[in-house]
Amino acid sequence: MLETLNWIERYFDEVTDAVFIFKEENLLVSNQLAKDLQAELKIDPNYLAQVADASVKQKLSPTDDCFKCSIRNLMKEISIPITLANDKLHPLEYFLIYHVIDADNHVFSLTLKSRGIIERMDQVAEQRQLNQYVNRAHEEERKKISADLHDSIAQGVYSAIMGVRRLNEEELSEANVAKLTSIIERQLNDTLTEVKGMALDIRPSVLDNFGLLPALRVLGQRTEENSGVTVDVVGNADTDQLSTNVQSVLYRIAQESIHNALKHARASEISLLLVAHNHFINLEVIDNGVGFDVPKHRQFNGRSLGLMNMNERVKALNGSFEITSEPGNGTTVTAKFPVATA
Amino acid sequence: MSLEKFDAHNDYQSLVNHVYQCTDFDFVGVALPAAGQSTIKWYFVAGNQNEQFRKIVLRSGIGIAGLVVKTGKPFWQNNLQRFEYSNQLYTPIAQVEALQSAAAIPIYTSAIRIVDGVLLAGYRSDQQVSQESTSRLANYLTTF
Repeated sequence: MLETLNWIERYFDEVTDAVFIFKEENLLVSNQLAKDLQAELKIDPNYLAQVADASVKQKLSPTDDCFKCSIRNLMKEISIPITLANDKLHPLEYFLIYHVIDADNHVFSLTLKSRGIIERMDQVAEQRQLNQYVNRAHEEERKKISADLHDSIAQGVYSAIMGVRRLNEEELSEANVAKLTSIIERQLNDTLTEVKGMALDIRPSVLDNFGLLPALRVLGQRTEENSGVTVDVVGNADTDQLSTNVQSVLYRIAQESIHNALKHARASEISLLLVAHNHFINLEVIDNGVGFDVPKHRQFNGRSLGLMNMNERVKALNGSFEITSEPGNGTTVTAKFPVATA
Repeated sequence: MSLEKFDAHNDYQSLVNHVYQCTDFDFVGVALPAAGQSTIKWYFVAGNQNEQFRKIVLRSGIGIAGLVVKTGKPFWQNNLQRFEYSNQLYTPIAQVEALQSAAAIPIYTSAIRIVDGVLLAGYRSDQQVSQESTSRLANYLTTF
């Protein structure tokens, strides 16, 4: 029994959160980390107790806007954001968690949890969601390619075969034979265009062979043809020195933004601006569509995952990524990458 | 067959003008392959709001006109604006001309019964189209 107590005490000292236990207003016991913090930051445990006390009073106050809120009253613990070492170079951000241990004897504990750790946990959870999204997106992509192959390419080839069969089997006048051959040619041409289009969607060879700006021009042209929406591509950028990764990401951002502008914003005009400066390169995709409320879509939900994914890809390459939009006022997507000039 | 020949034989511009004047359609257009090219584009229109339609290249199987080209059969659809880009029924011409509904029929120029072009007409109001709209269009095309 004594040994068990010993272990509990050891655990108490070794946990990664600073724990203070108070009886009424007096500090009963604190763990090693709490003692260290106390010494290092010169914090008065009574100050913490006062902060907690004030929050408890706030919570129980009937004048609180939330006094009907039953969820709040059911909460066993109260967490209070608090910043210690405010006057130091690196303020430490904590959550102060108030927990009643023994209500009758007024014994309660105060735990200081580092907000950094909690934020990190959030990041990890976010990362996981993003991973899932990426996996799903991969699968969707495959589904789309498969459907395209089946619906347009296979169909196109099949109708061309039917055409050739007709040439063989039917007795046609010379003029009609000429006509039919030209139509078969058109069908095959259509199919060829589709194949090229698919190849372009999957990985634009223009991007590898001629660079980013020509690739964006081709993308713009193709979007115009497929949707009738005006797409302007303006740029001065010499992208030869840009790493392939940055080029790919910029291209994908343009692609995704155009897709969003057409699908969600119903834009009638899209402008792509690619401008190189001495030490950075900037891509802007501006549309005149319906716009949306950006903060609302920052969380995970259908569409913003695309945005989120873009953001992650940009961040991975030390770039910055920004979306400005408001309902009725169009959307601007900006991506900026640092460039090391020789 | 070149566009000039089309002009000589069938003046599609006067066909679309005629349909536009005789009916209450808000937009009438004909899409055909251009001379020596395999791409089908909108060349003859009436009631257009802007010149955006010139940019569209018809894709076989995509949109109302694309489906007509692919299947060789009349096609119509109401409430067009609900289709998102990347949907098969996203009809570019309906987007740029703000059409709510549209009907389209194939144009055959020779005896071998393979589609050459498309005659499309549509409404910007919430007026509905039906099979009857396509047969009306077919009437105009045959009596032309």
